[in-house]
Amino acid sequence: MGILYIIKPGSKFDFVGKRYLWLGFSSLLIIASIVGLFTKGLNFGIDFDGGAEVQIRIPNTWQIAKLRSELESSGIKDARVQELGDEGSGEYLIRTAGDESTLGDVSNQVKTVLSKSFKEGDEFEILKSDVVGAAAGSVLRQQGALAMLYALLVILVYVMLRFDSRFAPGAILALFHDAIVILGIYVVTGKQFDLTILAAILALIGYSNNDTIIVFDRVRETQDLFPNLSIEETVNKAVNETLGRTIMTSITTFLVVGAIFVMGGSVIHNFAFTLLCGVVIGTYSSVFIASSLIIEFTKYRDRKHPRNAAKKKKKKTFSVRENPSSL
Amino acid sequence: MERKWWGKFTFLFLCVAIACAYVYPTFKDLDLKKTNFPIKQKITLGLDLQGGLYMVLGIDFKKLYREYLQRQMVSFDSQLKKANIAVKSSKLVAEGFPDEDPRIEFTLDAAQRDGIYQIFKDQFWFLRLTRDETGVLEFGLAHDQRVQIREKTIDQSIEVIRNRIDQFGVSEPSIVSQGTDRIVVELPGVREIERAKELIGRTAKLEFMIVDRKSMPLPELATLISSVEKEKNIVFEEGGSFSKYVDAINVAVKGKIPEGTIVAFERNEGETGKTIDRTPYLLKYPAPVTGEDLVDARVQFSADTNAPEVGFQMSPTGAVKFGKLTGANVGEGLAIVLDSIVYSAPNIQSQISERGVITLGTKGKDLYKEAQDLAIVLRAGALPAKLDFLEQRVVGSQLGADSIKKGTVAGLIGTLLVFLLIIFYYKVSGLIAALSLVLNVIFVIAILVGLEATLTLPGIAGIALTVGIAVDSNVVIYERIREELRSGKSLMGAMDSGFQKAFRTILDANITNAGAAIVLLNYGTGPIKGFAVTLLIGIITTLFSAVFITRLFFDLYLDRQLAKKADSFSI
Repeated sequence: MGILYIIKPGSKFDFVGKRYLWLGFSSLLIIASIVGLFTKGLNFGIDFDGGAEVQIRIPNTWQIAKLRSELESSGIKDARVQELGDEGSGEYLIRTAGDESTLGDVSNQVKTVLSKSFKEGDEFEILKSDVVGAAAGSVLRQQGALAMLYALLVILVYVMLRFDSRFAPGAILALFHDAIVILGIYVVTGKQFDLTILAAILALIGYSNNDTIIVFDRVRETQDLFPNLSIEETVNKAVNETLGRTIMTSITTFLVVGAIFVMGGSVIHNFAFTLLCGVVIGTYSSVFIASSLIIEFTKYRDRKHPRNAAKKKKKKTFSVRENPSSL
Repeated sequence: MERKWWGKFTFLFLCVAIACAYVYPTFKDLDLKKTNFPIKQKITLGLDLQGGLYMVLGIDFKKLYREYLQRQMVSFDSQLKKANIAVKSSKLVAEGFPDEDPRIEFTLDAAQRDGIYQIFKDQFWFLRLTRDETGVLEFGLAHDQRVQIREKTIDQSIEVIRNRIDQFGVSEPSIVSQGTDRIVVELPGVREIERAKELIGRTAKLEFMIVDRKSMPLPELATLISSVEKEKNIVFEEGGSFSKYVDAINVAVKGKIPEGTIVAFERNEGETGKTIDRTPYLLKYPAPVTGEDLVDARVQFSADTNAPEVGFQMSPTGAVKFGKLTGANVGEGLAIVLDSIVYSAPNIQSQISERGVITLGTKGKDLYKEAQDLAIVLRAGALPAKLDFLEQRVVGSQLGADSIKKGTVAGLIGTLLVFLLIIFYYKVSGLIAALSLVLNVIFVIAILVGLEATLTLPGIAGIALTVGIAVDSNVVIYERIREELRSGKSLMGAMDSGFQKAFRTILDANITNAGAAIVLLNYGTGPIKGFAVTLLIGIITTLFSAVFITRLFFDLYLDRQLAKKADSFSI
């Protein structure tokens, strides 16, 4: 049996030639995401916004409209009811806003409403009930944002130390790109954004970073082996050589996360959704964005310090001249 | 077989054996109390998986600082009176200042300033002078003092909550402080949120009661209690509700003890926090002096023996009641009872009114800690800090069980798909990768059990991500070896340099991830933390399995290929 290849060895796809296309496309995505974040905004879950949330399971003979009207008539105002999981699973999420003093009772009120028609434990069940005060919500939001920022900072410092200043901004911008685009997806889909999703974004930052570092490592190695290649050629060679690995890893990760997405149950569903998007975006950003950015930052540096660039070249070139003295 | 393989294999075997021993009780769901399996640990499941109640409580420090300062002002005023300084007015000013920094303001004659200043310098060192103008002196709390109050309050609130929860009967409660002003309470298995809230939110009840030794000495009381325990079949089980037990005992002994007395217990806890025995007390009821009469209590050191002791101070009205009580009962025991549990019952040496000292003797293992605990108990009743419920989350046990089941099945299926893919793609080498992956996951779970870390739902996702990263390190190695082979290296050479070059890459990738995970561990809350823990453990085991396990099996495989004089291997 021979060796199987997803990508034939020695492939020479031109990734960097069209880099302005990728960079332009990603810039558009980022701008759209940021605009979305500031106009429509994220649909914050109670973790970040405060409020009460009750997850219930009821017989699927009930219609969601009936549930809504029953809740309404019992005095739970502005309740948002949302079906969870597969259709017909009978799992619903009821969410209300309000102040801390009344929120604690929401779970009981829901219980009362349901008890009118069903027997508890037997026919309906309160699976989960969360109450987060508005103050706690803003603390959680702040902490989450800080955690993300610090994590990025640590990565930046490490890449800067381990590689150099041309690599670090590319790595960080690529990660930033991933996080922003995922947020953008959450704006567009209107899915609820809570602590678990934040954890997922942090996970994919780690994943995408792993991808990026592997490409960067190869860029550095190629540079040492072939110092006379232009930066474009170096990066393109490195991306091509690591392509087999990149695709293989993305597929395997996609399989694991995909299985969790499909079968993992309602609680972890959105978490897996985020990771699934993240794997795609992370792979894309490592191959197309991070590598393109190395080229741009290298060129920028060479323009800024032309002497540096020249010196580097000089060291590697041989020269021959007349020998003034006789042998 | 050469190359010191036996040593390496023995080491691997040991690692796997230890890991399996740690995973076994969880996997077989052993009853840890009954089994004689040497490892008595199971994986700790987070509330999201186990079901239970999670609460974040905030402490109202704004009110606390104001009240503290108010009391200091009253005390300052009385010192001024003693020194015959009549100020025009003294008042607490909170408006216009930050919440955590209220002030007290004295309006006075310019001539009185130095006298007041002297009293401040001598006796009120825990205040700081914030304004010193003609006719006005203004004080705030000293910064150290504020920090101290905050820490004391958190400690004491945790103590009060723990005490309450013991009564509630929860098997493994967790009560920890978070940040500077919050307390996180986790009660696995508890679903009655309203009852738990009521219990925790209630102000602590501290009582001073006289021990009635005359009508029934201790041995007699102990016999009575064990006899009613047998008669009425009252048992206290560890983890059960202690207050229910105490109530049942009191009902049972009614009529057998003198009128106007009750039975209360002192709990002596062993090292693991489990009650090892209970000392019963017969106490005169109702309590004449309560926590409302107490102003403060703190640890101090005896002037004579330098041993730690607890000094306490009564309010003016409390001092009168306390003087009467102690005066009439010199020589008797004074039981300090918090929420119906006796914490200490020192003998009354003499009449005490305003200020008293509880000495703990000079012997004992950790007197300072004992003194500290007692001071906390006293203050818990003295300064009821209001607790706000910032967050409360209840997870039904059904949902948790569902999540575990679905999460595990999904994880297994995903892993199986990955195995199929890598074995199809890399053949024998894929099989090696799959094997090292299985060991990797066992290691992650074993370390989680060993560290007593909590597995949450995002934690399971962390393990899934570990699988992804671990597969990746194998892929990186294999792709590298393939490349080296293509460049014309020998099998041995390709493998060696493949592993070597790949290792650098793997290390880089994993270190950055570990850095990020450590940050998340420190700054994250709840789900983020659970995720970070498993990710961090996963990174470490991945490095180990990629560098050591995969390599070891590979060496073995290569050796066999060379022995067969094959000129290739399936990768």
